[in-house]
Amino acid sequence: MSSGSERRFRILDQLNNSETGGFDAMRLCQVSAEVTAMSGAGIMLMSNDVSRGAVCTTDEVSALIEDLQFALGEGPCVDAFHLDAPVLEPDLAAPVTPRWPAFTGPALDAGARAVFGFPLQLGAVRLGALNLYRTESGPLTDAQHADSLVMADIAAQALLVLQADAPPGQLAASLEEGSDFQHVVHQASGVVSVQLEVSVGQALIRLRAYAFGNDRRLVEVAQNVVAGRLRFDAQSGQSDPGP
Amino acid sequence: MTREALLARTFVQLSDTLVDEFDVVELLTLLADRCVEVLDVATAGIMLAGPGGELRVMTSSSDAMRVLELFEVQAQEGPCLDCYRTGRPVLNHVLAADGGRWPRFTAEALEAGFQSVQALPLRLRGNIIGALNMFHTDQEALAEGEAEIAQAFADVATIAILQHRAGLEGQVMNEQLQQALNSRVLIEQAKGVTAERAGLSIDEAFRALRSHARNHNLGLVSVAQGVIDGTLHAAELGAAARADDA
Repeated sequence: MSSGSERRFRILDQLNNSETGGFDAMRLCQVSAEVTAMSGAGIMLMSNDVSRGAVCTTDEVSALIEDLQFALGEGPCVDAFHLDAPVLEPDLAAPVTPRWPAFTGPALDAGARAVFGFPLQLGAVRLGALNLYRTESGPLTDAQHADSLVMADIAAQALLVLQADAPPGQLAASLEEGSDFQHVVHQASGVVSVQLEVSVGQALIRLRAYAFGNDRRLVEVAQNVVAGRLRFDAQSGQSDPGP
Repeated sequence: MTREALLARTFVQLSDTLVDEFDVVELLTLLADRCVEVLDVATAGIMLAGPGGELRVMTSSSDAMRVLELFEVQAQEGPCLDCYRTGRPVLNHVLAADGGRWPRFTAEALEAGFQSVQALPLRLRGNIIGALNMFHTDQEALAEGEAEIAQAFADVATIAILQHRAGLEGQVMNEQLQQALNSRVLIEQAKGVTAERAGLSIDEAFRALRSHARNHNLGLVSVAQGVIDGTLHAAELGAAARADDA
């Protein structure tokens, strides 16, 4: 049996072997980490060429890796999506070519030592990217690389199959569960757009700049804005009440 | 070739086919032919449910079976239909002894020379998308383990059909997915705008958006778009919602 087919069947088999019967987005993430023997995995969805957040993450570090990429617009998944090719960083602490200046520090602090991004695509259809990370540095083996490619392919198909059950204009419930589409950040963009009398797009840029400049997570800044603890139109400048 | 070798070769052939572009009918035909060889049945066929749930004959390894399967669809009775409707396999069913379960189908099948039948569901996440059917010219039952092999064939057929559908519908489904993601962003932004303009909490703002959509028979997304564009005044929306609550 050719190794590609064998991989595909092994992964499909593992996906189907959940205790609960059926599979959902979370199962895709778990199996992604399992088959590639990584510390964790996350799946990022993109639309209009920007990250919309994570449809699933296996653990806190994966969640942070997705969160950072959403907030900063840089990282392995973002690059994999835009380049249409795998993006491999086997040694995040000492990369051959430094990249992702804002992403790298917090990802290292969280414990990630190697990060890998694989685009999710089906022919011309591009959905997002699969993120894998490991707490130890080192390259992927050939087998891990091959498994990751097949896994990304299966995940892309599976996401579309899951979404096919949804009512028009809505996300499938199986994709919402366990997802983090950063709703609070978009709510805060709406609030700030009124405070500063700018477009919601510009408001998001201001939120991002503020978070980066004050060394805060975007989601925390957004939560403070929505709760009214932080205003962008205050005369006295923007005082940060902290998380 | 031993049966194990034949089985192994079949799965290799099928799995190789799945990786590249493939013709789904061709693949299902290959599958039906291999059922005949490996399980020593007279003939095998696959039916798939169309969008409205009606079964269609996709492939049959013999003309006699094709005619019989078409008859089954027309008469709305028979093993494949039962299997599809209940999701349970029909195993080792001897037609002459079935006590009139499918009077019209049984008469036709016996006349065509078939004595017993098997039907296995093509399952996907609790949904049944079709059935794999096998007819015998004798009354011999499947040997031990053969029902499992047949179900494995049915499962491979299901994967093939799914991959085919995902490829065909990928573009359309992705557009829907992207639209759902974009709509959601728009709604969240509109909640924020409304909350800030009308002095409401995010939850109250969402209720105001929803009740405006309901009262004006508009979609939530177009209300959200109106709020973002400024064509809908968020402050008035909030005031109306407060009046509703009072």
